Amino acid sequence: MLQRVWALALVTCKEGIRDRSMFGILLFALFVLGLNVAVAGFFMRDLGKVTVDMNLAALSFAGLLLVFFICINLMAKDIDKKTIQLVLSKPFSRGEYIFGKYFGLVLLVLSTLALLLIFSSATVAGVHAMYPTYFEGFSWSIFFLAVAFIALQLALLCAIVVFFSAITTSSFITLIFSMASYLVGVTLEEVLFYLKSQAAAGEVVASESLRSVLEVVAWLVPNFAAFDLKVEAAHGLALESVRLLTVAGYGFGYILLLLWLATLIFRRREFN
Amino acid sequence: MCWRRVGINSLMLLVILPLYLVLQGTSWEQRAEVRRTSPPGYTLPAAFSRVLAMGYQGLLSDYEFLRAMTFYGDRSIKQQQMSSADWDFFAYSLDVVTDLDPYFLDPYVLGEGLLTWDTQRYETANALLRKGMRYRTWDWQLPYYVGFNHFYFLSDYATGSDYLMQAAKIPDSPAFLATLAARLAYYGGKSKTAVFFLQQMLAETNSEALRQRMGKRLLALQGAVLIEDALKQYRNVNSADPEALGELVRSGYLEELPQDPYGGQWTILQNGRVYSTSKFVDAKSDNQGN
Repeated sequence: MLQRVWALALVTCKEGIRDRSMFGILLFALFVLGLNVAVAGFFMRDLGKVTVDMNLAALSFAGLLLVFFICINLMAKDIDKKTIQLVLSKPFSRGEYIFGKYFGLVLLVLSTLALLLIFSSATVAGVHAMYPTYFEGFSWSIFFLAVAFIALQLALLCAIVVFFSAITTSSFITLIFSMASYLVGVTLEEVLFYLKSQAAAGEVVASESLRSVLEVVAWLVPNFAAFDLKVEAAHGLALESVRLLTVAGYGFGYILLLLWLATLIFRRREFN
Repeated sequence: MCWRRVGINSLMLLVILPLYLVLQGTSWEQRAEVRRTSPPGYTLPAAFSRVLAMGYQGLLSDYEFLRAMTFYGDRSIKQQQMSSADWDFFAYSLDVVTDLDPYFLDPYVLGEGLLTWDTQRYETANALLRKGMRYRTWDWQLPYYVGFNHFYFLSDYATGSDYLMQAAKIPDSPAFLATLAARLAYYGGKSKTAVFFLQQMLAETNSEALRQRMGKRLLALQGAVLIEDALKQYRNVNSADPEALGELVRSGYLEELPQDPYGGQWTILQNGRVYSTSKFVDAKSDNQGN
């Protein structure tokens, strides 16, 4: 079974690499990294923070583009072009198909991130060498940890893409739903904490029912903000291992849950 | 067909391309004028921008900081006086930047460098720095700045000394802080302390606009220190203040009166301190934009 899942993952990943949009995404990320070298000098003291901010933003944004514009296509292509009939006619269970596709997407995201990380590390090292006194709090280990959590965040987003691909018939709907889930997931924490702080301060800015609705939404949509270690990486702030383990467990748990649900739904789906 | 294509290409080359180049240049000049005369921009409150940043709060804080710095730099290069509305925008921007990323050092340094010396908004600067102290607990500079503001600008020596002591207790803080705190408690050598403070800020600042501004102020304060030292010697010998500062030159305590780079005249205040009529700020220039 593992062999079949791995084979499908490899095919999916190779197909993704062949996509020409990949060059655009890589070029964009490299442009931002280059821009970092030019822009760093505009700042006064915290050049290390600015450099890490820009690098992590480039990696994470390139990852988002990859998931939204390549991974969704890779999932939809089989169904749109009906090549899925060919795959499923082989000794492949639908569960294996879902997991194979998912691991393919994750492999694609990880290999792209790994490539970009090489360039990013070179950029950080270069700016570090140019302005050594302005990198006081910088720590490579926290920087790499932040990248690892960006990868986990993108892996979770891939699971969302697989889930919506399993239940919808159009890649556009998958794109809309995945983007909406991401946007809600990444902003929800900030909105909820803001509403709570306003309520605690005695200022009524929104109705109680809105807050309750958002709290229910918070149970459904993954909290993408939890994976964000950019501030910690930018300032070299210490990270507690309990926090990291909790967030990693939360991410992997959510991924497994989504893949399981996607498999259940996909098994019942009929293809014309 | 071929001639038509040549005709179109020639038209593009001879008319459209030069027209584009002229319009391109003009539009940039126009933009420069619009920027010069435009009122300060609007900075979205942090409660909204933190949400709209979509997880890129750090990057947005960099951008907003750059925007505030460019705004100040623009006015500074054109020697336009910042209006009260300009300073409101500037101070609010720094507040938003530090809400987006409260660990970001640059806005605190810039706030200390400009909000106090240039616009006398001491409490705004102190509030900003105190916010930074809640987050950058390892950083001795922020309580040091607040302490300096209390001492130099607000003449609140006890509070200033408290903050400096707080800074001195932070690991890896420079050894001079403890002695400085003690000295401030006794109130003395105010200009010397300011010279010392500015020298230290200047050494750690990368921004050219801020360096120029601080360099000029440092020069003025060094002049004040020179006169104060000569005055002290004069008092020791004559047991009285000279009637005018020119007396210091005539009696040989000073080779010449140093120039005030802000164009003011040196005077002795009633409390015996040396001060300049320029108050160490640039003479007002036209601010057509505001």
